[in-house]
Amino acid sequence: MKLLVVEDEHTLLQSILEYFTQEEFLCEGSATHADALNKIEDFSYDCIILDINLPDGNGLRLLQHLRKQKKDDAVIIISARDSLQDKITGLDYGADDYITKPFHLSELNARVKALLRRKYVHGTDTLELGNLQIELFSRTASCGQQKLSLTKSEFDLLAYLMNNPNRVVSRQAIAEHIYGDQSDNMPSFDFVYSQIKNLKRKLKEKGCDDLIQTVYGLGYKLSL
Amino acid sequence: MSKPLLQRNTRYLLTWLPVVLLFCSFLFYVMLRMQAHHMQEKQLLLKQENVWKTFVANKGNIEKHIIGEYDIVEATQPVALNASRDTLVYYADEKKSLPFEILTGRMQWNNTSYNLTTYVSSTEISHLIIKVFITEAFILLLLLVAIVILNRKSSKLLWKPFFSTLHAANNYDIARNQPLALATHTGTTEFDELNGSMISFVNNANTAYFNQKQFVENASHEMQTPLAIIRSKLELLINQPGLTEKSASMLQDITEANDHLSQMNRNLLLLSKIENNQFPDAGPVDVSQMLRHLLNSFQEHYEYFPALTCNIEDHVVLQANRSLIEILLSNLVNNAIIHNKENGEMNVTLSSSYLLIQNTGPKPDIDPMELFERFKKGSYQTKTTGLGLSLVKQIVLLYQYQISYQYLDGWHMIKVTFR
Repeated sequence: MKLLVVEDEHTLLQSILEYFTQEEFLCEGSATHADALNKIEDFSYDCIILDINLPDGNGLRLLQHLRKQKKDDAVIIISARDSLQDKITGLDYGADDYITKPFHLSELNARVKALLRRKYVHGTDTLELGNLQIELFSRTASCGQQKLSLTKSEFDLLAYLMNNPNRVVSRQAIAEHIYGDQSDNMPSFDFVYSQIKNLKRKLKEKGCDDLIQTVYGLGYKLSL
Repeated sequence: MSKPLLQRNTRYLLTWLPVVLLFCSFLFYVMLRMQAHHMQEKQLLLKQENVWKTFVANKGNIEKHIIGEYDIVEATQPVALNASRDTLVYYADEKKSLPFEILTGRMQWNNTSYNLTTYVSSTEISHLIIKVFITEAFILLLLLVAIVILNRKSSKLLWKPFFSTLHAANNYDIARNQPLALATHTGTTEFDELNGSMISFVNNANTAYFNQKQFVENASHEMQTPLAIIRSKLELLINQPGLTEKSASMLQDITEANDHLSQMNRNLLLLSKIENNQFPDAGPVDVSQMLRHLLNSFQEHYEYFPALTCNIEDHVVLQANRSLIEILLSNLVNNAIIHNKENGEMNVTLSSSYLLIQNTGPKPDIDPMELFERFKKGSYQTKTTGLGLSLVKQIVLLYQYQISYQYLDGWHMIKVTFR
């Protein structure tokens, strides 16, 4: 999978590139509008992560150009602007998703993967790890042949972890993923702990032991 | 003690104008007296001349004494000559004395000296003086009333631009950031000047206020990127192999602090956006539905949710921005959860006119009036941003709802009145 990251802030660009390289994407970075334009002209990407505010131009113009050329690269906008209007404008220009800074890389990763699945996988939409299997479209999960009965939040949590396998995902990232903006007002993320506890118990009951590990107080990791 | 301008003006006039008028009347009276006296002297002299002419022409054969007119006597005793004097003349038939003004002149005829004394009645002239004086007093009184009335009228007219300026200044609200609409051509130089300087003063204040608000918004925006960098580096860091427990716990603290900072920044940004009125799109919002949904989701993810009693009326609809109402509700509900006690309770009442949220909890250790200010929070809660309730207040202000807080018998009560 080829990924282009357009972000003028170098350190942030580095982080994103590093994260996605570990996810075995073929990553390229671009810090300016001009450079990004050249790359878009010359290559085609599976997904473009696009910052709107670039030193030499607006990211939206890049997006417009891309769509005019009938290129269907998936585009995720990353922006510091979080108003509904900005989001609507971004999507109107042909972006597939919009995520506001500061974001969690695991969240960005989950969204990129969701986009790519939408783009390339038709019909079934399954994530697998060992004998754990989840069906995103019908929102069902099973362990081997046994179906798991999960609440909405537990399913979202499991799907999020499955999108970021073998990685430590912080509790904050999980909270934000599941509860969105509401998590802003939460005094503690203890509820993540209890959700994880329940999820672990349900997985164990169906024979998928020890898939989720707790990494000190930092977060959780789903791995075989 | 301050009184209205018009009243003060009238009072001033009513205090000093009578004094001036009294003094003028006195002066007028004195002058009138002097003039009358002068006139009498002239009359006496004229009479003296006429009588003497007649006396000489008739060779002394005229009546020597006519009462109230003249006396001719041979000069034997010295008398005051050529100076008028007051005297009383007794009229026997009327049995009373009347005041007269007299003048005695020394005349020579046939080598004899005569004293010719002429008389002019003082009664008429003093009657005249009194009548004139009364008339004058009446006119002055009329004048006083007229001056006061005219002054009130003209003051009202003259000060009109001032009062409209005052009215505009009273109605001015910097938070709404509107310019002050004042007339620049009032017809009075000073008021034109006043309005001019008021307008520029308000414009400056507006600019400063706008810049201040803009600053908060821009600062929050600028902070997003460094926060994003810290967050991304932390995420990479926690995925590094060979993490020790000690460094993990440090990373945990950093992550928490950074997330706290992000939250605070986001709330600040939201606050300044509400202040800048950047949530224009209002539509019907079903508050009942939203509140139920919110309470459910909160109940779901708080293990220790207080015992909840709901009294939610169906289909309470407000005209507002959806996200703002959501923020309002979730902040209030969340507030009632955070500031609760162990095994506490919470009552939520919603009707078409108000929302009442009550919860048990310890007495607030700050002044209730300050609860809605930014960064004012009880000392025991460090994990909140201190902006939740000020967001609520800002939203309440925006939609002109009313909010009140009360602490009674271990219960916090926050009431939002919609209309």
